[in-house]
Amino acid sequence: MDVSSSKVIGVTNLVKTYGSVKAVNQISFEVAQGEVFGMLGPNGAGKTTAVEIMEGLRTADSGSATVLGMDVSKDTRAVKERIGVQSQSPALFPGLKVREIINFFRSLYKKSVPTTRIIELAALQESRDVLFRNLSGGQQQRLSVALAFVNDPEIIFLDEPTTGLDPQARRAMWEVIETFQRAGKTVVLTTHYMEEAQRLCDRIAIMDYGQIIALDSPQRLIESNIKESAIQFKMKDYPGDQALTSLPDVSKVVREGDDIIVYTSSIPSAISGLLAMASQRSTELSEISVRQATLEDVFLKLTGKRIRD
Amino acid sequence: MKAFSAVFVARYKQFIRDRAALFFSFIFPIIFILLFGWAFQNMGTQTFKVGLADQGSPQITAYITIGLNSVILEGDVKMFKTEIGDPEDLRAKLEKGDLDAVIEIPAGMDTLVALGASDNVQVYYDASQTVNQQMLIPALSQVINAIDERIGEYTPPIGMNQQSVQSHALRYIDFLLPGILGMTLMFIGVQGGLPIIQQRQAHIIKRLGSTPLRRSTLVLGDLLFRMIVILASAALIILVGRLVFDVQMIGNWLSLCGIILLGSLVFVSLGYLIAALVKTQESAIPVVQIVNLPMMILSGTFFSIASMPAFIEPLIKILPLTYVNDALRQIMVSGAPLHSMTTDIAVLAAWAVACLALTIRFFKWD
Repeated sequence: MDVSSSKVIGVTNLVKTYGSVKAVNQISFEVAQGEVFGMLGPNGAGKTTAVEIMEGLRTADSGSATVLGMDVSKDTRAVKERIGVQSQSPALFPGLKVREIINFFRSLYKKSVPTTRIIELAALQESRDVLFRNLSGGQQQRLSVALAFVNDPEIIFLDEPTTGLDPQARRAMWEVIETFQRAGKTVVLTTHYMEEAQRLCDRIAIMDYGQIIALDSPQRLIESNIKESAIQFKMKDYPGDQALTSLPDVSKVVREGDDIIVYTSSIPSAISGLLAMASQRSTELSEISVRQATLEDVFLKLTGKRIRD
Repeated sequence: MKAFSAVFVARYKQFIRDRAALFFSFIFPIIFILLFGWAFQNMGTQTFKVGLADQGSPQITAYITIGLNSVILEGDVKMFKTEIGDPEDLRAKLEKGDLDAVIEIPAGMDTLVALGASDNVQVYYDASQTVNQQMLIPALSQVINAIDERIGEYTPPIGMNQQSVQSHALRYIDFLLPGILGMTLMFIGVQGGLPIIQQRQAHIIKRLGSTPLRRSTLVLGDLLFRMIVILASAALIILVGRLVFDVQMIGNWLSLCGIILLGSLVFVSLGYLIAALVKTQESAIPVVQIVNLPMMILSGTFFSIASMPAFIEPLIKILPLTYVNDALRQIMVSGAPLHSMTTDIAVLAAWAVACLALTIRFFKWD
């Protein structure tokens, strides 16, 4: 995607160090208007730190972050006026009612959308007069996300927006994000859910140890990293990586608990090889599934970790 | 301005829904006043039976008798009932509880005094009765002092009956009320650190940090609200004292407001300092108690600091509540002007500056 023409976020050589740990180490990227930009990475990869620098919550040690044409470290308040932020922790004033919390946040901005609009977004029409502390976890989370829209922002930063939501609420949240995008607005999203990233994101940056190790659209990330299909199965006695990779057309083996995943360019030859090996060792293969590679596989291949580790 | 009033309204709504905060700010001090006020209420109109044992100085005995009889309480009641008699009989009555005190006037005192010399009378009383400590002995010594002054001026003792003891100045409730006021300022102020710690711990402050809200607006909104709560609580305390116990505020109201605000500033900054040094609410609650309780007991809230053992005096002299209580008492009870309490004001200002400086140095928003 040609980003430079309608760039709303530009990050250049950003570095942030905590003690001896480089939380963010020389990252650079751009986000175009109307894009949903995903950031994926294991815990501690530096996603939240990077996002918080863009939001003006932290200052970088070096490098620059530009949002809506403004240097975040200089025009911090002007930037905050035009962005919406949802942070990982959904907690808000426990002793205030839903309606009061929304009104409180509305009065912090020059421009704001009507309270009822935010209540609708959070699907809390029945609970507008309930104290925050009496809301369920999912309701609190929905309010926390909806509040990011309170100032009719041009860019919205969502940090794990659907964590703790049931599948139905998660889908509803996706629709909210897609509606926002259709209005020409930009979303920066961090998530643990591959399905969410794959469905929503136009481009994804995969981070590990403070660096961006891959940045592209979900489809291209999959195509360029994993040309093969995945065969996933369980096997009683693990024959060892060596034995599996020496099977015909198998390029890579990954173990995830009891599950074994082999990547292959030819499903028939890999399967017949596996079956032959199993009968030779008089053991059994079980729960065999064959699928196209997903973002999850890309993540696993690039970082060597599952995203939830 | 919009953001400032939003912070203020949010604080207000959370406060009125917080029963514990409401209790400690308004109900708790009133309970103290009513409890102690009623418990010691009779002290204001308490009468005492005093035996006078004349061992051969009829002149002095007469002076003292007239002096004691001249003390009139509200409702035309004489504070002392006197009885002249034999020392042994009177002491026996004192031990039985029929008398509250016995004054022994030694032989030859008439002559000594006439020659311009002095001698002591001996007072016996039951020291285990607090009412004796608080009321009887101070009143007796005021009478004796008045007689001394008269004799010193060679004025005939006939004028004694005009020399009445200030019937109002010695009531315990008059002493207590400024102390309760000071204590309440401390409770409200120091506790103010807790919601800040809780909001920081729950990342609410961080969330606010991603909005255009200025931190100074957040702090000032909080500070102003807390000051208003303190003033409201102070007004309630003074009102209840006035309506229930007729406690008078003798001094200047502006001076009183000034000391209340200075005192609150000290305690509110002490609360902020706790928020700067303590990370979690669980550990902050005991810290608040460690700060509050010693001051509540040692700083002259319920008893005069003069009655404290000498070895803790250095500690008492450091605590800010000592100076808040002293200044409030001087204004409310004695009507003292601000310039007569420069030590109090200087110590309190130093406390406020030190707490705020340390808070700015150590406070972290996340």
